[in-house]
Amino acid sequence: MNQSIETALSVSNICKSFGSVQVLKGISLDAHRGDVISILGASGSGKSTFLRCINLLESPDEGRIVLDGEVIEMKHNANGRLLPSNTRQVEAMRSKLGMVFQSFNLWSHMTVLQNIIEGPLRVLKRSRAECIEEAEQLLHKVGLFDRRDYYPAHLSGGQQQRVAIARALAMNPQVMLFDEPTSALDPELVGEVLRVMRSLAEEGRTMLVVTHEMGFARHVSNRVVFMAQGVIDAQGTPDELFEGLPTERFRQFVASHNQRAND
Amino acid sequence: MDLLQLLSFGEHGWGAALLKAAGMTVLLTLSALVVGALVGSAVAAAKLSRRRIFRYIGDVYSILFRGIPELLVIYLFYFGGATVMGAIHHWFGGEGFVDTPPFLVGALAVGLISASYQAEVYRGAYLAVAKGELEAALAIGMTWGMRIRRVLIPQVWRYALPGLGNVWQMTLKDSALISVIGLVELMRASQVAAGSSRQYFTFYIVGGACYLILTGLSGRLFNIAETRVQRTQRRNPNA
Ligand SMILES: Nc1ncnc2c1ncn2[C@@H]1O[C@H](COP(=O)(O)OP(=O)(O)OP(=O)(O)O)[C@@H](O)[C@H]1O
Ligand SMILES: [Mg+2]
Repeated sequence: MNQSIETALSVSNICKSFGSVQVLKGISLDAHRGDVISILGASGSGKSTFLRCINLLESPDEGRIVLDGEVIEMKHNANGRLLPSNTRQVEAMRSKLGMVFQSFNLWSHMTVLQNIIEGPLRVLKRSRAECIEEAEQLLHKVGLFDRRDYYPAHLSGGQQQRVAIARALAMNPQVMLFDEPTSALDPELVGEVLRVMRSLAEEGRTMLVVTHEMGFARHVSNRVVFMAQGVIDAQGTPDELFEGLPTERFRQFVASHNQRAND
Repeated sequence: MDLLQLLSFGEHGWGAALLKAAGMTVLLTLSALVVGALVGSAVAAAKLSRRRIFRYIGDVYSILFRGIPELLVIYLFYFGGATVMGAIHHWFGGEGFVDTPPFLVGALAVGLISASYQAEVYRGAYLAVAKGELEAALAIGMTWGMRIRRVLIPQVWRYALPGLGNVWQMTLKDSALISVIGLVELMRASQVAAGSSRQYFTFYIVGGACYLILTGLSGRLFNIAETRVQRTQRRNPNA
C-alpha cells in the first residue's frame, strides 16, 4: 500500500508501432515522488514516443499507465486497437502531467501571462485573481516577470521555454515531462533553462527528462534510463551508469557524446 | 435636372432611395457572409476530414458552387424555392403562385457561393496553424470544445483574415446579382432611378461610386483588423 503512495507514476509494458515498425517494445518505468529521471538514447530510439505515450498524445498499442494510484482505463476497440475509454479521466490525467516540448508550443495569440493562466483558469476552473497571483509568482521564479505582457514571438527561445515551464508548473502537476527542452535553443540560451530545471529538481518535483545534456543527467537527476531500439538497455543511478558503463551500447553512446563534445 | 437635384433627399431626388438600397446591399452581404462562414467552415472541415466520404462531399460542393455561374445559382434557388414552397402551400390546401422572399433567397444563394470560397480560406488557415500549439492544449488537459474555442478558432481567424477580406469584396459585388429577383439593393435602385429619370449613364456612375465607397470602406476595416491581429506576430513589440 505504501508503495502506491510513494509511486507517482508507473508505466508498464508500453508497446507502440508506426505501421510495421515497432518503436517501443515493452517499456516499463516507475517514478517515485521526487525522482528526477533522465532518459537518454540515440536519435530515433523512441524517447519522444515513450514520453508521448505516457500522457496519451500517442495511444500505445499495449501497456498500462498508473498515475497517483489511478489506473488509466483503456479498452481494445473493434479493430483490436487499444484506446483510452474514459475521455474525462484522460483529460484529468493530462492536467496532472506537465509537458514541456522541444519547440515550446506556446499559444502565439496569447501574452505570456495569458499563456500561464489559461490552464488553471479553464481546465482547473480556478478564479482569475488566484491564477494571476500564482502566475506572477511563477514568472518571478523563471525570471520573466517584466515580460508578462509580451507575445511569445517577441521572446528569445530560452525565454519562451522558461514561459512554457511556468505554464506547465501553473497546473501544479504531479509529474513533469520534458522532451528535449534545450535542443532547439542556441547554446548560449541552454544554461538559463537548465538552471530553472535544476531548481525544480531541488524543490523535489517529480520529473522525466528526455535530454542530450549529459551534465544534467549526471549531476541533477537521481536516475538515468538509457533507451536503445525500443527497449531500456540500461538504467540505474548516474554513477552506476556513467562510472559502471554496464552495457556495450551505453559505452558507445557515451563515447560518441564525448567525441562530439570534444569536436 | 442637375446632378444635385437628382441625388437630393427631397421628393424628386433619388438620394434617400439609393442610401436605403446601399443599406440593403450591406445587410445582404453581411447575411451572405454569415451563411458562408457557417457553411464554409463545415465544408472546410469536410475537406480536411480523415473520412474519404466527407472529403468527397466537400469537393463536390466546391465543384458545384464554383463551376456554375452565380446568376444561374440565384435563379435555381429562386425558382426552385418557389416550386418547393408552392408544393408545400398546395399540400396544405393553398392555391395559386407563392412568392419566395427575395432577401432570404438572395442571402442563401450568395451565401452558399461565398461558402465555397470561404471554405478554401479556412482550409488554408487551418493548415497554417502550428500543430504544436494544439498539442499543447491537448497536453494541458483541455476538452475538445476548449481546444477549438481557445486555440483553434483564434488562430484560424488570424490566418483567414486577409483571405476573408477578398471574399467579402467578392460577396459584396455578387450581391448585385440579386437585383434580378427584384430585391431593391444598390444595383436595382440604380437601375430604377436610371430608368425613371432616363439619366442612365449618371445613375450607373453613381451606383458604381457607391460600390467603390463600400468596398473601399470595408477594405479599410479589414486592414485595421489585420494590423491588430498581426501585432502578436511582429518580432519587436514596440515597432
Ligand atoms: N507519427 C509517427 N509516424 C511514423 N513514425 C514515427 C512517428 N513518430 C515517430 N516515428 C518514428 O519512430 C521512431 C522513434 O521516434 P522518436 O521521435 O520517439 O525518437 P527519439 O528517440 O525521440 O529521437 P530524437 O532524439 O531524434 O528526438 C523514429 O524512427 C521515428 O521515425
Ligand atoms: Mg524526440
